[in-house]
Amino acid sequence: MKNKNIKQIKVWDLPIRIFHWALLVLILAALLSGFFAPEWWLNYHIWIGYVIIGLVIFRLIWGFFGSSYSRFVSFIFSPKILLEHIKGINSNQPIYFLGHNPLGALMVFALLFVISAIIISGLINLGGIENQGPFAFLIDYATGFIAGKWHIFLAYLLIIMIFLHILGVIFESKISRISLVRAMINGKKPNLANLDNKIAIGLIKPQILPTISIMAIFAIIFIGGYFLLSRQAPSGFILMEVNEDFQSECADCHELYSPSLLPASSWEKMMNELDNHFGEDASLDIETTKNIAAYLRKYSAENWDSEASNNFMIVDNKAPYKISETPFWKERHKNIDENLFKTKPVKGKGNCSACHADAELGYFHDKNIKFRNKPVK
Amino acid sequence: MRNIIIILIFLLLFPLTASISAPRDDYLGQLEKMAKQFDDSFSGFSVERGKELYFRKSTTGKAETPSCTTCHSDSPLKAGQTRAGKPIDPMAVSKTPSRFTDIEKIEKWFRRNCKSVLGRECTPIEKGDFITFLMSQ
Repeated sequence: MKNKNIKQIKVWDLPIRIFHWALLVLILAALLSGFFAPEWWLNYHIWIGYVIIGLVIFRLIWGFFGSSYSRFVSFIFSPKILLEHIKGINSNQPIYFLGHNPLGALMVFALLFVISAIIISGLINLGGIENQGPFAFLIDYATGFIAGKWHIFLAYLLIIMIFLHILGVIFESKISRISLVRAMINGKKPNLANLDNKIAIGLIKPQILPTISIMAIFAIIFIGGYFLLSRQAPSGFILMEVNEDFQSECADCHELYSPSLLPASSWEKMMNELDNHFGEDASLDIETTKNIAAYLRKYSAENWDSEASNNFMIVDNKAPYKISETPFWKERHKNIDENLFKTKPVKGKGNCSACHADAELGYFHDKNIKFRNKPVK
Repeated sequence: MRNIIIILIFLLLFPLTASISAPRDDYLGQLEKMAKQFDDSFSGFSVERGKELYFRKSTTGKAETPSCTTCHSDSPLKAGQTRAGKPIDPMAVSKTPSRFTDIEKIEKWFRRNCKSVLGRECTPIEKGDFITFLMSQ
C-alpha cells in the first residue's frame, strides 16, 4: 500500500508486539525442548513453561486494560459478522478489519485456551510423574500419566494451530496486500476505507497502572503459591525408616536399591533365593533374612507412588527381580550404548547411581541424571 | 615428663590394639581344634596352602566366581571390587587390620564365598590356611 493519502495507524501497541514475539520464541523453545531434548533438560522446559504462564496472564489482563485493538471487546464478533467475513473470503473480497479479523480472533482465543491447557496438563504431569512442582503434593502417578498424554496431544494440536495461524496471516497479507507480519513488528496498519471502526482509533488508551497492579497481584499469588506448594511433601512418598540389616547386608556388595523399585512378590522370591543371588551365594541367617524381607515388603512398589515404582511393577517373569530386565527399564535405556554400561564409572546395569544421583532414594528424577558424557541417541 | 606421657599413652592404647586382634586369635584357635578333629595328621596351618587356595581356579562353584581373585583382585595387598562394582578393602591383615576380627562376619563370608567359588563349604583347614596366609601378607 503505497498510497500516501492513506494514514498509517498504530494498531498494535508495543506490549502486545513484545508479547506476540516473546510467545513465539518461548513456544518454539518449549516444543523443541519437549520433543527433542534429552530428559535432563526437563528443568529448562519447565521454566520456559513458567515464563509462558506469565505471558498468558499478561495477555489476559491486557485484554481488558490494553489499547483499543488489544482489548478482547475489540475482537469479539457476532456470528453474523463472522459469517460475512467467511463469505467475503469465499468471494475473494474479504472485509478489511483493522485489528483482528473474526477468524483470526477465534484463533487468538483458541491459542490462549490451548496454551493454558498445555501448561495445566504439564504441571499435573510434572506433579504426578516426576513428583515435582506445585502439584507434587496433590497428584498421584496415574493422574499425572493421563495429564502427560493430554500434554503431548495438546502440543500437537498447538503445532497444527500455529500452522493454521501462519496460513491465515499469509492469506490475508496476500489478499489485502498488507504485510501482517510487518504490522506485528512496527505496529502500524493503513487505515483503509471500509474498516471496522466500532472502536474509535486512539480513543482507548492503555491503562498502565491497573495492568501493573493486577500483574503484581498475580505475581505474588503465583510465585508465593509456587514456593508454598512445591515445598509440600510429594504425595505417595512415605518416609522409609532406616533398617540397619538392609543397609549393611545389601550394601556390602552393591548399591542400595530402594524397596520401591520392585513389587512385593519379586522381593519375596529374591529373598527366598539368596543362595543364588545374581550368580553368587548371598545367603543370610534366618532372622536377618526375615527382617530384610519384611522391610522390602513394607516399602515395595505397591506402597509407593513414583515413576519408577509404578513402572517397575511390571517385571519380566523369567527374571522377576532383575530391574534391568523389566520392560520399562529396557525401554528407557534402549538408546544408551551397551558399552557405556561397561565403562569405569558405570560398571554394569545394576549401578543405577552412576547416572541417577537420587537412585538410592528411589526418586529417579529426570533432572538428576548426572552421567551425560555420552549422548543418549 | 613428656616421654612418660608418651609411654603412658602407648600403654593405654596397647590393650586396644591387642583387643582388635584377639577374636582373630580365638577364631584361629577354634579352627585349629576343629582341624585336628577333621584330620589326624594335621600339623598346623600353612601360608603356602592358603596362598594356593587364594589363587586357585575352581570349576566346581558358580561360573561367575571362579576364584577368590575374581572379586578380591590378584593381590591380597590390593583393594578388590564386588561384581556389582563396590570396592572391597584389601584382604591382607597388614592393609586392613580389622580383617577376621568379627566371627559372625567371617563365618558368613566363608559360608557364602566358599559356596560361590568352590561349590561347597570350606573345611576348617582351608579356613585356617586362608587366614594364616592373609595374616602373613
